[in-house]
Amino acid sequence: MSPSTDNAERFENLRLELRRGCLSLAVLSQLKTERYGYTLRKALNDQGMEIDEGTLYPLLRRLESHGLLTSEWREEEKRNKRFYRLTPDGKQILKQLAAEWQSINKSLNGIL
Amino acid sequence: MELLDRYLQAVQFWLPKEQKQDIIAELSEDLRSQIEEKEAELGRKLAESELEAILQRCGSPLAVASRYLPRRYLIGPTLFPLYRFVLGILLLGVVVPRSVAWIAFQILDPADQSYLNMGNMLDTVIYFAFFTTLAFAIIQWTGVQLHVLNYWNPRKLPPAKNPNRIPLFNSSFETGAAVIFNTWFIQVLWPRPVIEIFTAKIMLAPLWQVFFWAFVLLNSLNLALSAANLFRPYWSQSRAFVRLLLDLAGGSVFCLLLKAHLLRGISVPSLSESKAEVLTSTINSLMGKALPGAVIMLVVLFLIGCFRLQRVWKTDRSNGPIAPGVAGITSSMVTGNS
Repeated sequence: MSPSTDNAERFENLRLELRRGCLSLAVLSQLKTERYGYTLRKALNDQGMEIDEGTLYPLLRRLESHGLLTSEWREEEKRNKRFYRLTPDGKQILKQLAAEWQSINKSLNGIL
Repeated sequence: MELLDRYLQAVQFWLPKEQKQDIIAELSEDLRSQIEEKEAELGRKLAESELEAILQRCGSPLAVASRYLPRRYLIGPTLFPLYRFVLGILLLGVVVPRSVAWIAFQILDPADQSYLNMGNMLDTVIYFAFFTTLAFAIIQWTGVQLHVLNYWNPRKLPPAKNPNRIPLFNSSFETGAAVIFNTWFIQVLWPRPVIEIFTAKIMLAPLWQVFFWAFVLLNSLNLALSAANLFRPYWSQSRAFVRLLLDLAGGSVFCLLLKAHLLRGISVPSLSESKAEVLTSTINSLMGKALPGAVIMLVVLFLIGCFRLQRVWKTDRSNGPIAPGVAGITSSMVTGNS
């Protein structure tokens, strides 16, 4: 493996690691309004936060099991879809996480 | 859509029973939405290769299913270094001594295979590895709080060591022992027709003279080296090399001595002549049988000497003549050297 491939791989790993930490915040922020998985994924992708189904759905389940989201199955366009929205706890955590993000962002901007 | 159903079925296989239906329904909905959107964009049904590309991008069924499962470890990342350490010690304790002993017996007495059965070596290693892994898996599974991981105090950690430092105690002990041994050896075992130790008279072969002077020479050199180590308490390449040579030479002379059958006779007032003869031949025979053990010791000494030499050589190459050890690591962190 050439050094440039090595570096590309290292960068990709670090990039994914960096993004992984932000995904929960991005998902929570998009669920201020109720959405089902596919439209949520599209909304995130449209705003430059690409996320695949293999990452999104397990994350939604984790957030739901922590009591930050609630979900229900409903029929829409003749198909059953699972709709997610923030719980009151989720709204509170989103607020705190957003503040934390601003603080980290400010610090990093200063450092960089 | 047969390909999609096959894919979902394959994902479903790996999912926990109670969540299977829910997860598959949601994943299926997402994939069908993707397919519909693509079909609307192209204005036609998707070809099988296009559907295949969507599923390929989604990931292998096992990888997709694994993301829904809680992260489980047989041995977790916190416990793993300890597991590797214990396993290494156990395996080294089994493999190295048996291999060295086996090699020694192969060289010295290849006809007699009764000493060691190397056939079950692999079994022994597998048993050790299995039971060590099982013990650690149980610790992981039961969540036992290990003292070493949870209740530690920085003050109780062992002092930082410099591997190339020669402890003062070692050098003092070696010097003292060499002086005492040399004095005793020269006084008592000076080559002469009959050597007297208390009331016993020992007759040795003339060849003893050669061994005697070899031991005196080697012991004097060892004494000089230990004394030098007292004043210069860090191994240098030259002294580590001399130590290796002296250990090799001393061990080899001792092995030759065991094979030489030097004892010609023993005379003790309370022992009859016939019994003294039996005792003489028994001692010569026992010395011969001790040879494999001595060879093993020689190999171990050689390996230790080589290890020491390469450690000093590596340290000299990276840090200059005196090894900095951990203290050097922390200082290089401060100065930014790597």
